[in-house]
Amino acid sequence: MIKITPAEIKTVAQYIYDISGIHLDSSKAYLFETRLSSIAEEHGCKSYSELHQQAKRDPAKAIERKIINAISTNETLFFRDKNPFELLKHKILPEIIDARAPRSPGMKTNIRIWSAAASTGQELYSIAITIKELIKNDPAYNFTLLGTDISDDAISQASYGKYNKFEIERGLDQRVLRQYFTLFGNTWKIKDEIRAMVNFRKFNLMQPFTGLGKFDIIFCRNVAIYFTLEDRKRLFNKIADALADDGFLLIGSTESLSGVCPQFIPKRHLRSIFYQKKA
Amino acid sequence: MKKLSILVVDDDPVIRRLLQQRLQKANYDEIDVAEDGVIGIQMMSKKFYDVILTDLMMPNGVGGIEVLEAAKEINTDTEVVLITAHSSIDSAVEAMKKGAVDYLEKPINFDELFLRLDKIADVKTILRNAQDIQQAKDVTDHAASETIQDMELQISKLQNKIDELEAILRNSSINSEERIYQALDRIAED
Ligand SMILES: C[S@@+](CC[C@H](N)C(=O)[O-])C[C@H]1O[C@@H](n2cnc3c(N)ncnc32)[C@H](O)[C@@H]1O
Repeated sequence: MIKITPAEIKTVAQYIYDISGIHLDSSKAYLFETRLSSIAEEHGCKSYSELHQQAKRDPAKAIERKIINAISTNETLFFRDKNPFELLKHKILPEIIDARAPRSPGMKTNIRIWSAAASTGQELYSIAITIKELIKNDPAYNFTLLGTDISDDAISQASYGKYNKFEIERGLDQRVLRQYFTLFGNTWKIKDEIRAMVNFRKFNLMQPFTGLGKFDIIFCRNVAIYFTLEDRKRLFNKIADALADDGFLLIGSTESLSGVCPQFIPKRHLRSIFYQKKA
Repeated sequence: MKKLSILVVDDDPVIRRLLQQRLQKANYDEIDVAEDGVIGIQMMSKKFYDVILTDLMMPNGVGGIEVLEAAKEINTDTEVVLITAHSSIDSAVEAMKKGAVDYLEKPINFDELFLRLDKIADVKTILRNAQDIQQAKDVTDHAASETIQDMELQISKLQNKIDELEAILRNSSINSEERIYQALDRIAED
């Protein structure tokens, strides 16, 4: 493994911050080494400053993408923390469905949901399964489910909807597993009926939210923890703008918006918390 | 004793007996045998096996592939190793695609078999450790989230109170003494 020098840590950390907003602790040299060493070797670099130079010069941004894939923590699971999905089923979806009921008969109820750091897709598929279980195939509802992430690797796995047994077994009960996934050898693939409900694309949360439109429900869980307080403030302000006035925001179960975004009021229902915009 | 429960499925009594003896000698304590695929599947639906060692070609329409499929259907944690004649390597490779961990060619090289079993046992141990760490993390996360969420609501309530106090104290339609009384009343409220 190539060793990193303190000076390199500074430049590389700054570079990673510039391309992703991810703030890495510069006291943790091993973090840079374990995650970047093989990329450096693959590109024939003898040091991390060489890798940094190459990455900046590469017009196709292939190295930049690899660095982002390597540095981002994609840890996620189906129905992570359980409670938010109970909340979705018993409170948020019924309320939003009510609020969006069409004024004239025959029109559809349109509801838009965003998983803002979708990683490998488990969160958005859990949302899709929750919706499927609640409204079955009722044609009166038109759900748009969008999943975005900065990592191409994560997004491409999400798009395939393929998971190995370790990814699948955490969080999914057998009934749901058998109903919505098909086993091919050692991999489980999400069934088309669920796959067809969702869309994934690459998106960097540090960028302006142009062209995304408004959402009724936003999941922005376990990603802001990698950002600085200032960036977190900017992020949640943009999220407030992208959320319908009566929309719902869910964040990670160990995250907090206190001192981050006064526009959001925390509310408790059942055993979990959701946020809504101040009236 | 080595901690792997093993089911041997083979219609050839000689191989069955040989496998059982060699495995027992090698200190694998939990070994059951089935004389064909049908019985094998019956046994694995009654008891969990870490590993199933099955012959590929067996009579009555239930061969190694069917045993593999049934095993994975019952519990994906069960690992299946196929035993095949050299001439059926292609089907063994096909079986790997269907989720078998490994295959062994006949005649069985027992050193090779034990190496494979050790590898399976190692992976299972690592996995168990990872699951332990995962569970410990879940417990910590859960406790942390309860604390954080309680504080989140408390802070929001206090912020609300502060905003109201500010409104009272800035209320120019009443005199300052009245503002102070109202503010104190508001503080005393829950
Ligand atoms: C720990 S996962 C969270 C997944 C899921 N939301 C959950 O809670 O289980 C964090 C994800 O955030 C993504 N990420 C990090 N920085 C990002 C950025 N600037 N824009 C978009 N996604 C980002 C990472 O690629 C990673 O997949």
